[in-house]
Amino acid sequence: MNDKHIDMRNVRKIYRFFTLDDVSLALEPGQIMGFVGPNGAGKSTTLRLLMGMNSPDAGQIRVLGHEIPEAQAVAKRDIGFVSAEMRLLPHTTLGWHMEFMKSIYPEWDGGYAATLVKRFNLRPEQNARSLSLGEHVKATLLLALARRPRLLILDEPTTGLDPVARHEVISELMDVLRDESRSILFSSHNTVDVERISDTITFIDRGRIVDSDNKEDFLERWRRIQLQLPDGVELPALPNIVKREVDGQFVTLTTNQFSAGLRSLIGPHVTHVHRMSLEEIFVANVMHHREARAQ
Amino acid sequence: MSVVTRKLIAKELYVNRWFIVGGCVSGVVSVLIAATGKMGFNVGALTWLTTIIATGVMLGLYGIMNERKEHTLQFVLSLPLSIADYVRAKMLGLTACFLVVWLVSSGAALLLVFAKDTVADGIAPYTVLLCVFMLANFTVVLCGSLHAQSEALTSAVIVVTNMGVSIFMFTVAPLPGIEKYLSGPAPVWSSTFWTVLGCELAVLIIAFTLPFFLAARRRDFL
Repeated sequence: MNDKHIDMRNVRKIYRFFTLDDVSLALEPGQIMGFVGPNGAGKSTTLRLLMGMNSPDAGQIRVLGHEIPEAQAVAKRDIGFVSAEMRLLPHTTLGWHMEFMKSIYPEWDGGYAATLVKRFNLRPEQNARSLSLGEHVKATLLLALARRPRLLILDEPTTGLDPVARHEVISELMDVLRDESRSILFSSHNTVDVERISDTITFIDRGRIVDSDNKEDFLERWRRIQLQLPDGVELPALPNIVKREVDGQFVTLTTNQFSAGLRSLIGPHVTHVHRMSLEEIFVANVMHHREARAQ
Repeated sequence: MSVVTRKLIAKELYVNRWFIVGGCVSGVVSVLIAATGKMGFNVGALTWLTTIIATGVMLGLYGIMNERKEHTLQFVLSLPLSIADYVRAKMLGLTACFLVVWLVSSGAALLLVFAKDTVADGIAPYTVLLCVFMLANFTVVLCGSLHAQSEALTSAVIVVTNMGVSIFMFTVAPLPGIEKYLSGPAPVWSSTFWTVLGCELAVLIIAFTLPFFLAARRRDFL
């Protein structure tokens, strides 16, 4: 039996000016996946496909064991979806939304909802139209979290938030992660947020998945190596080098498969080996794949 | 019908409560104005027509188009429902909102026709046809708004249906089976009346049921 929370296989979605091509994703129970890509990479399209809001042209999608989009009504009972774009219904208050959700979801946790109202400094009597962007995100997150869903799908929830609101949202998500049976798919182009909460990271660019791995493995695999080559010395052919920058005697190599073997292959000319931040890995990864595709 | 669909129908009635109240008040006030005399009848009839048309347009625009434009549709579609459930809830919910205003306004208009001596009872069949036409017109607006992917297309549907009201009034009123009895002391339900009513009901049924078969099967709703 397939017990993955998300199982997306070879999905294709064609638009007039954009194609999501051969996208496969797998999210195990309890896993937190950061879904990172530049603007227009296909993150939101992928998440909407997972929610059944759009249908794929090819491929298969199963969420919480249910076929999507066919069985989306059943699957969505256990999915909390939050998007930075999402807005609450007009002419209603947050309190009305909380009552509305309570009437739909039997698992609604009123106590937890009240705690989140306080923690996020929201007012239930506040009209939806008067909420700021940050308050909207916190309100939709509250409505999603208080249902205690098994799967959270978050589409750039921290985009456009001020640092304090971002901290509040991320802190709450980290709190949610204590429940190990829940899983989260978190899309963002902010690698700092993703690095804080994710244990698995998938990079997407121009409609294609470019890399996917455990966060620690990403951080271990990628290195920037600086070397100084004496005159007349040339580097041997090296495997797994995604970028080579030369400035006179100084050479900077970026590798996606760093190992002791690679270091010994380079020889004694290495001056520094730098660990890379997730943002640096993301940019190098995307640029490498763009160049590879262009060739 | 699922719980979510029922809740969404109730949600439409709640979210559009001010349109409904405003529409009902405006409809009744228009009829009261129409009861004040010949000049008042013309003014009242015009505001009565405007009330029903505007209510339909506002419900189509705010209930469907703005939901998409203002990203509240994402919130609704994140609920445990299918696209077909959403379309069903939208059609039933918005129609229920319109029906409240339509029933109050149409009822008030017919009451005026039968209760006021200065208004000939013979106008009743034409009033019924006009009321049913506007109900059919609303279902066309709703159907068009649910199918249209763009604001421009929805606006085009609204413009065409609005023009339809004038065209209807100028083509149906002069029909021999209608015009002949307009000033009569008693309503005459002629064969022309039943033919026009049949056409209106056919349009209404088609426009109301089409989204259940087409929009409900749309692969992309965002």
